[in-house]
Amino acid sequence: MIHFDEMACLLYLEGQLDPQRSRELSAHIKECALCRDLLHALQHETILLSSALTEDNESMPARLASERARSLPSWVWTLAFGAFAAGAYWFWTDGIAPWFNQLSSAGFGGTDMFSMIVFSGAFWEGWSDMIDAIQIGALILAVIVAIGWIRRRLRGPVAIAVIMAALLFALALPQQAGAAEVRRGRSIQIPAGEVIHNDLVVTGPSVRIDGTVEGDVIAFTRSLTVTGHVTGDVIAFAGETMIDGTVDGNVRVFTRSVILQGAIEKNVTAFANSIDLVSKANVGGGMIVFAGEADLDGKMQRDLLGLIGRTDLEGVIGGQTWIRGGSLTVASGADLRGPATFEGAQQPVVESGAKLASPIRMELTQEMQRTRRSTARVLFRAILGYGGALVVGVLLLVIFPGFFRATLREAGSIGLPIGVGALALITGAFLLVLGVLLLIVGIGAGVAGVMAYAPILYVAQVFVGTWLGNLIMGQPPEVTSAVVARMAVGLLIIRVAGLIPFLGGLVWLAVFLWGTGAVLLGFHRMSRAESAPTAPLPA
Amino acid sequence: MSPAEQAVAQERIALAKAGSAEAWGELYGQYAPAIFRFCRRAMPTREDAEDATMDIFIKVRQKLSQYDATRPFSAWLYTVAANHCWDLLRRRKLRQDLETGEVENMPLEHPDPGQLERLIERRTGQEMRRALDKLPARSRMALVLRYYAEMSYDDIAATLGVRRTFVGVVLLRARHQLREILEGQGGARLAAGGAT
Repeated sequence: MIHFDEMACLLYLEGQLDPQRSRELSAHIKECALCRDLLHALQHETILLSSALTEDNESMPARLASERARSLPSWVWTLAFGAFAAGAYWFWTDGIAPWFNQLSSAGFGGTDMFSMIVFSGAFWEGWSDMIDAIQIGALILAVIVAIGWIRRRLRGPVAIAVIMAALLFALALPQQAGAAEVRRGRSIQIPAGEVIHNDLVVTGPSVRIDGTVEGDVIAFTRSLTVTGHVTGDVIAFAGETMIDGTVDGNVRVFTRSVILQGAIEKNVTAFANSIDLVSKANVGGGMIVFAGEADLDGKMQRDLLGLIGRTDLEGVIGGQTWIRGGSLTVASGADLRGPATFEGAQQPVVESGAKLASPIRMELTQEMQRTRRSTARVLFRAILGYGGALVVGVLLLVIFPGFFRATLREAGSIGLPIGVGALALITGAFLLVLGVLLLIVGIGAGVAGVMAYAPILYVAQVFVGTWLGNLIMGQPPEVTSAVVARMAVGLLIIRVAGLIPFLGGLVWLAVFLWGTGAVLLGFHRMSRAESAPTAPLPA
Repeated sequence: MSPAEQAVAQERIALAKAGSAEAWGELYGQYAPAIFRFCRRAMPTREDAEDATMDIFIKVRQKLSQYDATRPFSAWLYTVAANHCWDLLRRRKLRQDLETGEVENMPLEHPDPGQLERLIERRTGQEMRRALDKLPARSRMALVLRYYAEMSYDDIAATLGVRRTFVGVVLLRARHQLREILEGQGGARLAAGGAT
């Protein structure tokens, strides 16, 4: 007797066998016990499968219990936001606000706070002693991020082993060395004869250093006078600065007015309303000057680089001179030993008797030219920017289609990605400050993290643009060219809207928040997808 | 579902389509447990199932205007859910084992009915689910679509992206794999053996 195979039996049971075969099988099983038993066994299996699958053996998770709860951000985001908010608050109250208070008492407003942090951070290697709290905060943050990452990538004992190893490594790291001497007060004076064998940080309305500091001097003050000897750098945020003594290192000043009449062994960097390098002053290195006006009568051994409104040169410049600004007068006593360039709207005035290595090279910047050129440049850049974004978008679509689709899908839910984007912006800004601070204590990872934010910010427009294109032209069929067409239209709209004064800024802000949120959520989806365990294959 | 219940459901759907949050909430309350269970069966982990359920209802709410009221709502819902879950699984590259070429190797022998009965008798739902969890994604998905969501062969074919004629093969193959898992490592090879 010829039996029906298992496939036919299953299709028969499922009502999928064609009528002719079905009739044959019906007739066959009346006589064939084997096929009849097989049908019964398969049916039994079907019932077992159905009941196992439909059995209500698990309660609904709480977060799915009500639709209302579903629309709230998930606990992860809430917790993350809470942690960051707390971190930011703590960072501000412990890290920034005391400095603000000191600055205020030293006669400063707080408007230049950020640039101060950046510049002082970049110029001074002793921050570590001042910002222990920030370090700890940063480390906690880094550990949280690392644990999150490790948990996602590795599982169980491996993750624990990695974390334990990292902790041991952290414990094995050497402690930071000695602290700077900090002085606060209404009027601070280091009298002549006093020697400070350390870095010195001073805050107060008036600071005067007549003695010796064997280290750097950092001053936040209304008035700083140095007549003594500083073996390190002088970094000053001050209303008025006067350096009349000897500085073996560099002088970096952010000040309203600065008078340099002593000896500075290395370089001078000055951000000032006015700078005066008096004739007896001697700068061993070069000078970088950003100033409203500058009277440079003293000597500098190397180059002068200046962005200066009005410059009067009467001293000696050993190296090259490059000045951009409103006017330049080279007085009769001046001695420019290297080539000199002036960029400005007016011809420089060179008095007779001035010594020049070669005639001053003049680059005339005419307002009309600049305006025309800048309009053309804006247009050119707009077109270039549009093309660039489109190319990046197409590349993303072609190289990472899964990520592109996931991100685009996330962009479609509008509210969530904008929220996540805003959170990322806050976090990004927080990390930027943190990163800059950490740079000085030797951890570049914070900065690297911030660097990763830039490309995300750039591709944000691609996804919002494509979403916009889809909205206008309808959901595309599964053809790359159709998606690209929608992307092109959407990007064009964003770019044009972005050119509108004021409103354009808001458009870009919305695009950045929305798009970065979508990209981050897209990453989140993709990373979940990739890190999920693979179902084992049957043997 | 009785005609009266169907009328209530249709009214809820119409109200939800018109933007009623209350009606949407009721629809959610009515169908979320079944969709969660569907996702729990189809996805590898509970977290995946929770996420998928949330995403599916977001999608459903967005696509509600596209729902054709002449079709049963639950069938449409399962189609959206199935497409979503399968899309996720596919992205996880769980398809290495699912090329149609393997279908050719499908054993078509007659298994021994007595042995099959012995294998499945006294099996608890939990044992079956544990074995189902060990199936490759497509096999598990096929069984869930057919025996949980009660989808037609046409819909299963559309969801899994296979030809309709292969749906039976995929289902039978999934059953064989399930039997192999139930048999355990040391058991006799019932799935492929038996009388002819």
